[in-house]
Amino acid sequence: MARAQGVELATFDVVRNEEGVLLSFSANFELSRGVEDALIRGVPLYFEAEVSLLQSRWYWRDRRIAHATRSWRLTYQPLTRMYRIGTGGLYQNFDTLAEALDSLRRNSRWKIAEPGQVEDDGRYYVEFSFHLDTTLLPRPMQIGIGGEAAWSLSVQRTQRLN
Amino acid sequence: MTKASRWGWVVALVALTGAALVLFFLLSNATGNRASYEAHYVWLFWVNVVVALLLVLVILVAVVRLQLRVRGGKFGSRLLLRLVGVFAFVGVVPGVLIYTVSYQFVSRSIESWFDVKVEGALDAGLNLGRDTIDVQVRELGAKTLLAAERMGEAGAQTQPLVLERLREQLSARDIAIVGAGGQILLAAGSSSGSLTPDRPAPNLLRQARDSRVASQLEGLDDEGGASLARVRALALIPNSNFTLGEQDHFLLVTQMLPPSLAANALAVQAAYREYQQRALAREGLRRMYIGTLTLSLILAVFGALLLAVGLGNQLAQPLLMLAEGVRQVAQGDLTPKPVFASRDELGGLTRSFADMTEQLSDARALVQRSVAQLEGARANLQTILDNLSAGVIVFDRHSGIDTVNPGATRILRLPLSAYRGRRLDEVPGLQEFARAMTARFESQASSREPGERDQWQDAFELQTAPEREKLTLLVRGAAMPQGARLLVFDDITEVVSAQRSAAWSEVARRLAHEIKNPLTPIQLSAERIAQRLAPKLEGEDRAMLQRSVDTIVNQVDAMKQLVNEFRDYARLPAAQLMPLDLNALVGEVLALYAGAQESGHLRAECEPALPPIVGDATQLRQVIHNLVQNALDAVSEQVDGQVRVRTETARSDRGELRAVRLLVIDNGPGFSDRVLKRAFEPYVTSKAKGTGLGLAVVKKIADEHGARVRIANLGTDDADGLRSAGATRGAQVSLSFSNFPLTERHVALAAAAAVRVH
Repeated sequence: MARAQGVELATFDVVRNEEGVLLSFSANFELSRGVEDALIRGVPLYFEAEVSLLQSRWYWRDRRIAHATRSWRLTYQPLTRMYRIGTGGLYQNFDTLAEALDSLRRNSRWKIAEPGQVEDDGRYYVEFSFHLDTTLLPRPMQIGIGGEAAWSLSVQRTQRLN
Repeated sequence: MTKASRWGWVVALVALTGAALVLFFLLSNATGNRASYEAHYVWLFWVNVVVALLLVLVILVAVVRLQLRVRGGKFGSRLLLRLVGVFAFVGVVPGVLIYTVSYQFVSRSIESWFDVKVEGALDAGLNLGRDTIDVQVRELGAKTLLAAERMGEAGAQTQPLVLERLREQLSARDIAIVGAGGQILLAAGSSSGSLTPDRPAPNLLRQARDSRVASQLEGLDDEGGASLARVRALALIPNSNFTLGEQDHFLLVTQMLPPSLAANALAVQAAYREYQQRALAREGLRRMYIGTLTLSLILAVFGALLLAVGLGNQLAQPLLMLAEGVRQVAQGDLTPKPVFASRDELGGLTRSFADMTEQLSDARALVQRSVAQLEGARANLQTILDNLSAGVIVFDRHSGIDTVNPGATRILRLPLSAYRGRRLDEVPGLQEFARAMTARFESQASSREPGERDQWQDAFELQTAPEREKLTLLVRGAAMPQGARLLVFDDITEVVSAQRSAAWSEVARRLAHEIKNPLTPIQLSAERIAQRLAPKLEGEDRAMLQRSVDTIVNQVDAMKQLVNEFRDYARLPAAQLMPLDLNALVGEVLALYAGAQESGHLRAECEPALPPIVGDATQLRQVIHNLVQNALDAVSEQVDGQVRVRTETARSDRGELRAVRLLVIDNGPGFSDRVLKRAFEPYVTSKAKGTGLGLAVVKKIADEHGARVRIANLGTDDADGLRSAGATRGAQVSLSFSNFPLTERHVALAAAAAVRVH
């Protein structure tokens, strides 16, 4: 089950092993001209991946076992002509936009739950979403772009954990 | 609208307007503070939209209500509509004006922020910084390459001292010789803390390996700030002697970017970004400001509209109250009017109006009372006039008949009221009377003495029609204000008749006295002549004497009888009033007329158990005698002539005895009009021979008994005495006795009264 706007999930794997529940995904997307233009002009872009591990329960609403988010901040520095991605406290510089995007397209072995949190006989599923977060843009811009398709980059997926 | 609902409106109005104003304030305040503004803009916007929608709803409801009231023609709704229109106009127009100006202002000022020159300057600044840094980077690269080549040419074992000298030469922060894998082999520098500088970045190393030299800027980040910015250059040291083995060696030079340059470059970059972001968000910004403005306009305008409705209502209320009151007053409803409880002029107006209405009501009540009194007085006057036996005629200033009372009609026996508004001489039979009246009034007016009362009195003989008897009228005339004239007259025919009979009575008494005295001597003398001379005469002479004496004696007897009758009339003895039975008296008298009774000409109809009356038996006997004789005389020439003598009682509505009546009815020719009017005067008779004293005596006796005599022709209307054609003929004389002897009860009462007095 997936819904997507401008983003395609090329791979999406949830693995349960002794390390815990690990998520690997790669999202294929391109920035539209308008978005790229805004980036070049110095507007920081925020990407956010959000994943929840839930347990199905027939007698009650589903229980959320784990929840993890990861966000990326993509900026362009006109002074050095470098693209810079910050995630958590880490920064990386890239000479080209393609390199920068590649680094946030692929994610592997993202630990979303500890081994003890998942029982063997439970029924679990993963809710995943990845999107360009426009709510962190400057407010006037949000009003300016309000609902434009070019700025809607998102994908959602729900997958059973086996 | 009730007071409660009005208050409800006002409160809702105030609450809504207050909320709108607070939100408006927040909105405009937020615009001043960018951060909080941006954070709260969206929800503020929607709350305001909701408030605006509420306001629109309320206004729509109010407008629809007003519209319905206007359509339904509800009183005062037009005034309200006009007031609301005026207020709304006053509220909306300035708002729209300000909005238009502000709109232009905001649009222009937002556009003016984005100046091409500013943008160009920012671009140029950024490029300048970039170029400067690039130059620094390239220079260091070139210098490093030169140093590395020199180092390679020297070929000697590189000493730390040499490195230090080179560092100072290059004015670098630190300098190092790096192995092929990037490991630091030898370093010299002023790096604080660590003895060895950082390893070069892999891509720098790769680049240097490829093109002998590479240099790059590091650490110039938003996060790091200007102090960490440094330029690193890596150059391949040409390997000529291979003293240090097979591996390539690199010279790594690190130079700090001048802090001021880095700071300025970063500042320019920040400004550039900011500017670009703003430029991108320009449309959004404009929408935001315009949206705020539009929302404020809508709130202000709708608030103004609501206030307009409320204020209009408030203002119109007393006016409507007043107008409603005026309408009620115009329709005649003068009930107390409500007062608008406010201390301004409008409240005063309603109060004054209420006072005015009350005064009006009082005045009207007063007028009504006066009119009622007037009406009563008028009705009273009219009643008096109607029941007045005297005739009254009022003429207006043009001598037209204005008012006629029934008395006038009765006396004149003319339908005068039908001639109201016309002149008196237009009434048939009254021309002469009218002329005389006019002449009398004019003579009175012309010969008026000062101080004399403006009225006159006269007696007139009036004959309204040839077949009617003459009326004797006592007429009084008086001038009234405004040229009107008043005529009052009485029928004094009967008074004149009574005077005449009194005069006759006196004459008769004297004549009887004077004539009766010589009669006896005349009779005695004639008898003595006959006694003395008869024996002396013979034959024819004697017979003649005897005849003459007989004639004298007979005539003297006749004269005596005549004189006696006169005396009877003039000097009836005073009645001896005793209780008596009228029926017995009638029987007694009728016994004398046994012949007439037997022939059927006379009949008695006596009511049995007739109450006794008070009277003189002798005189009453004569009355009955006279009446019966008269009646028999009247029917003597008729074969079917019949006289009825009837006694009856008259009782009031409650059954009390009012009178005992004696009626003598004949079916003869009846009385002529002339006789009817004056029948009780002496010498008025319808008989060929007769003294004419019979009815006069009856009248006299009746008067002495306090009885009422009425004579009438049968089959005639009592009012005018005109005989209607084809009616039964005959005459009727009635005597009503209303004096009764005191009954035992009366006596007892009188005795009780007497006892009480004592």
